[in-house]
Parts: sequence; C-alpha cells; structure tokens
Amino acid sequence: MNNQRHSPIIDRNPDEIIAFRAGLEVDAAKFISQANALAGRLPKHRYVFNLYSDRYEFLLGFCAAVIAGQCTLMPPNRLDKTLDELASEYPDSYTLGGAGNEDGLNLLQPHDSSHVTDAHDSPLPVIPADQLCAIAFTSGSTGKPSANLKYWHTLKQGTLGNIDLLLKRFNTRLNVVATVPPQHMWGLETSILLPLFANVAISDRTPFYPQDIVDAIESVPAPRALVSSPVHLNALEKSGVPLRGVDVIFSATAPMSMELAQALENRFDTCVLEVFGCTESGILAARHTSEETLWHLSELFELEPGEAGTVVKAGHLSENVIIGDRIEKKGEYRFKWLGRHQDMINIAGKRGSLTDLNQQLLSINGVTDGVIFSPQHTPERLAALVVAPNLKPSDIIDAMKPMVDPVFLPRPVYLVPMLPRQETGKLANAAVMSLLDEISGSGKRKEQS
Amino acid sequence: MNLKGQKSEMQTQTRQEQELAELIVESLNLEDISAGEIMPEDPLFGDGLGLDSIDALELALAITQKYAIQLKADDQNMKEAFGTLRTLNAYIMQNTS
Repeated sequence: MNNQRHSPIIDRNPDEIIAFRAGLEVDAAKFISQANALAGRLPKHRYVFNLYSDRYEFLLGFCAAVIAGQCTLMPPNRLDKTLDELASEYPDSYTLGGAGNEDGLNLLQPHDSSHVTDAHDSPLPVIPADQLCAIAFTSGSTGKPSANLKYWHTLKQGTLGNIDLLLKRFNTRLNVVATVPPQHMWGLETSILLPLFANVAISDRTPFYPQDIVDAIESVPAPRALVSSPVHLNALEKSGVPLRGVDVIFSATAPMSMELAQALENRFDTCVLEVFGCTESGILAARHTSEETLWHLSELFELEPGEAGTVVKAGHLSENVIIGDRIEKKGEYRFKWLGRHQDMINIAGKRGSLTDLNQQLLSINGVTDGVIFSPQHTPERLAALVVAPNLKPSDIIDAMKPMVDPVFLPRPVYLVPMLPRQETGKLANAAVMSLLDEISGSGKRKEQS
Repeated sequence: MNLKGQKSEMQTQTRQEQELAELIVESLNLEDISAGEIMPEDPLFGDGLGLDSIDALELALAITQKYAIQLKADDQNMKEAFGTLRTLNAYIMQNTS
C-alpha cells in the first residue's frame, strides 16, 4: 500500500548534516556524491555482505548498494559457518569491508568526493518502491537461518513510522550515538535509516566501555540520543562515569527492568525509552519504562494474539509476520507483553532457539545425551548437563564454538552419568533444575567420568 | 588447546596476577576453573579462557570498582592489554598510582 513508485535515497536538504565522520560534519550533498561514487565502483553482483564496522562506512556501503540495485545480506552472526552457508546459498555475492579472513573489499577512499567538482551537482538517486534492498536473517529452530525480505518501501515507511513513534518531541536535529552494530535491525533502523529520512545525524563511532560512551557523547552536539541495549546500559549505570548531556536513551534487544530505567534516568538526568521490535517486523512499539508497563504500538501496525505467538499486520510489510511473543491488547495502540514462546531465549540481546542449541549439543561426537537450558537464577547464561564418558567440558565447548554465537556457549558444562528422562524420553524442567542444583551445590568443580 | 595443570616456569602467576585472576573468576562466576588455573600468557578472550564481550563489560566494571580505572576500547594500549592475564595486570599497574 504505497502511492510512490520511486523515492529518493535520502530525504534531506543538501546542507543538512547527516553524520559525523572522524570528527567532521558530513552534509547530505557530500554524502550523495560519495554514495554515487562508491556505487559506480561496486563489482556487479546481485547480493553483498556489508561487514564495515565503521558506522559511516556501513551507511555508505549500504546506500551505494541500494543505488546500484544490489541487495545487502545481513547474517544473524559473524561465525564463519554462517557466512559460508549464506555465501553458498547466494553465490552471486561479494563482501564489502570486514577484517582478517573475511576477504572483504575496501572500495572506499578517504573523504571521497573526488569525482565531482561540486558536491551539489551529484544527481540524487531515486529508488523503486519494490526494490529488494536487504535480507535480514534470523536463526530459528530449524537450524537454517530464515530470510526476512526488506523492500525499499518497507524500509522507508517503517522509518517514517519510527520517527512518529520516537522522535516527535525533537524539533531540532537529533545527534545519535549508538553502541549497537549497524549490521542488525536495531542498529540499522536507528543509526542507518534515521539519518536518511529524519532530522538526525549519526556518529561514526561504536563505543564499547562506559568511558568510550562518554567520549562519543561529548563528540557530538546537543540534543543527543544514545542507542543501546540493557547489557551496555547496565554496565554504564554501574560504572560511575560522569555521563552528561544525553537527552534520550533508546534501549532494545532485550527487556529492561523498571529499576534499571529509573536508575539510568536518576543518575544521568535523562529519559529512557525502551523499544520493542524484531527482525521480522522492525520496530513495533515503545514505552517509558521508568513509569509504565504497557507498550505504545506504532500506528503502522495491527497485532492479533494467536496460539503460536502474535500476528503482526502492516501495510508496508510484504506479508504478515508471526512473532514468538505473547501479548494482551489493552486498548487502541496499547498492549501488555506476556512473555516469549518457550523455545526462544534471549541472551544479551541475541535471540536463539533452545531446540536448535540442543540439537547442536547432541550432534557432537562423543556426546551420548545432554541438555542445554536457561537456569532461572542466572538468565544471562545457559547451562548444560552432558553425558559424554570420554570428553572434558572444554572439549564440548570447543566443539560448540564454530556452531553457535559465543553468548550461547553454556557456562558451566557439567558432566553427568545420565539425565533424569521420563519414560517418554521427555525431560521435566524441575528435574533438570534440581539435578543442576545438586551438582553445583556439591563443589565448584565436579567432573565425572 | 588446554594447558590446565601444565604449569611451566614462565606461566607462574605473580602475586598481583593471582589477585586479578581471583577477580576474574569471582566477577564472572566462572564455575569450572579456579583462579590458580588461569595461565598468565593464555588468551582471555576467544580461545584460551574463552571470555566473550559480555564478560568484557562485567570484568571492566569489576576492575573499575577495585582499581578505580576506566577502560577504553579506543586506547591502543587497551586493545593489547586485554589479551592475557599478564598484559591486563600490567595495564592496570601502569594506570593506577
């Protein structure tokens, strides 16, 4: 449902600042000339992996690919196995950026606008509404990543909805620092798409430690927004760094407690807006977590609670999606989040499937039985109980490393003589938890043969 | 590659390294290794001890609380410092008075 067949790659005036690169302002005109120049240099393939870790370079690479009619593939993680699988599924592809053995091309030249005499002369590319611009992959319980297709009109309309949902209170240019990588939807929607369609400028930095965040915030003018996730924000809050001048903190990828939201607001004299969304649908809702529990749904969407999860409908999505979250409607555009589907876990903002992880554990040579699970008392790590008479816990971890994202590696791994399975073969949660308590209670390091 | 239980002379912890190793084990809730088993020259991240980026944040916090220094990823010295127990300890010693 869109009335425009084409629209410009960027909807900003030529003199508007869209980014800070190495401390210098980049305006829209300069950005367009750089993106055009890069688009002309891209090898001719249908698909591209954009592994630039510098945010501005990622933005250039992403837009150059769109201009050249190419589709950016966004893998769910950076494991060699994942990249190799996707590369063989999409053979007409190449890699931009990246380091080490990722073999990416670096086609950027510093401060590149050498091909045009005046940046304002560079033509403004227009993009067809139905051009496929990106595929965002999610790992699910089938083991193979699922493809979520993002067309130009989906990205643009979604961003216009996000501006409405999140940025209404700002009537001057908002300057954004993000701790999250641009390669996933949260980072893409906030730090890559926003400067294209909103009065926003992004910092090229990706700060990690609390002091890095302070430095990055100080490097951009007010008003300032910090885009981050609960793991980073928790570390930030507890670190005692003197963070000042942040007008709003946007948090997503994992639930945030009311306590943490309040602590952040009190300590840093700021406002914390939590954002709820997923790769399949993009940003869906927001709430002011320090004082409310109900979510405000973006007016682009309609939600329908169902058996398997919730159906999400929207005019700008190419098809309805089902998300693994349970919700309860509480009025027009308000809802309560009831929890995730049992199989899905979230560790430090990364989504995983317990079914998938268990299959991988059982596929290890020498493992005759095992279970990997999320112990209630430590939701930030998974644990594993394994039957493997000739292996050490470190052998099991080493075998899992190439298969799963590091945050899903179980810690600890306990070797046990057998698992408390029922006759049906099922493992009751309670039995697993009590076995874990028994083992960990009886000594720090327990290795059984 | 697991060097547990195979100490060589070069891999003996100094007193400060032992203290830091204890901080690592305690702040990260490492259940299947004891402080004395962290080899001073084994990598902390990726291979070796196998810590990840969540651990980096947790550990940085514990270091801030104990030694009152703030780590920065931009600091070239910091990138090298986080490599092993030995280099991390040296960085901390250099940056505390």
